[in-house]
Amino acid sequence: MSTTPRVSSGIAGEPAHFGSVLAHQPAIAESFFALYGRFWGSDVLAARIKEVARMRNARVTECGFCRNVRFDKAVAQGLGEEVVDDITDGYETSPRLTDTEKAVLKFTDALIHDPELLNGDAKAALQRHLSPAQISELGLGVTLFLALAKALITMGLEPEVMDRTVLPTPAVLEAAE
Amino acid sequence: MTPAGGSAVQAALAGDPVLAAHYADFRAKAEGALDPALVALVRQAVAAVHGMGAAPNEAGLDEGTRAAIAYARRMPFEHTAISDAEAAAMVAHLGEPGFVAFSVVTALADAECRAALVDLPGLAAG
Repeated sequence: MSTTPRVSSGIAGEPAHFGSVLAHQPAIAESFFALYGRFWGSDVLAARIKEVARMRNARVTECGFCRNVRFDKAVAQGLGEEVVDDITDGYETSPRLTDTEKAVLKFTDALIHDPELLNGDAKAALQRHLSPAQISELGLGVTLFLALAKALITMGLEPEVMDRTVLPTPAVLEAAE
Repeated sequence: MTPAGGSAVQAALAGDPVLAAHYADFRAKAEGALDPALVALVRQAVAAVHGMGAAPNEAGLDEGTRAAIAYARRMPFEHTAISDAEAAAMVAHLGEPGFVAFSVVTALADAECRAALVDLPGLAAG
């Protein structure tokens, strides 16, 4: 896995990172950030649940950037590092993750790794803990997390080193609405 | 199951028209940055890796397009193994803006296939 950017920055004076590389395609960038802001701004599914799924995706896809970013909305909803530490293989036995979060993690594993994991019990648990609208939003989120992690990795945008970084949660820009 | 050429994610968002419109726009903008024929080949190649249809017929395709298809096939299960040289070949073929769009489209194609394989539309329908 390369930590050398395979694409230059599209913004003069900025190093290559996901945002600056995406600037080579302004229409895609604008549309993506509008979508991502709308997704994170929706409270149909709590930010903490979305972040649990994002953290699992980061670990399975080996996205170091994704793994080290935290969104502040999820942190404010109680997603501390002791919980994040349990989002690893064996999460089923975690005393810190809720049953809803464990069902979400099983769905996440099924989508990003092996669809067979969403067996009868796992599917029933997901549908018991989440409404159809929440599953819809979760599915969109995991799809985006997976695609963006893979795009980021294959464009060589993985950092060599990165501290854990809490970022403002993506939001809809008022001017875009 | 949603056909490989469709979008399981789009179908699952039927109950949220605003989010659905945003997703459709993002997908359209990403795909619109590339030759439609290449987009179709990439989506077909990725779907075939997931067992969702036949692989594309590469007869008559130029070397760059065949390399793009080969690259796309690695996205589902080998994304961390794609080498600098493979990526450089794609940049040479598509240009930097094209490679950015290609990376997004290919990764999104993989994720959409996976969403179809877990029957996301069915789950979201309750």
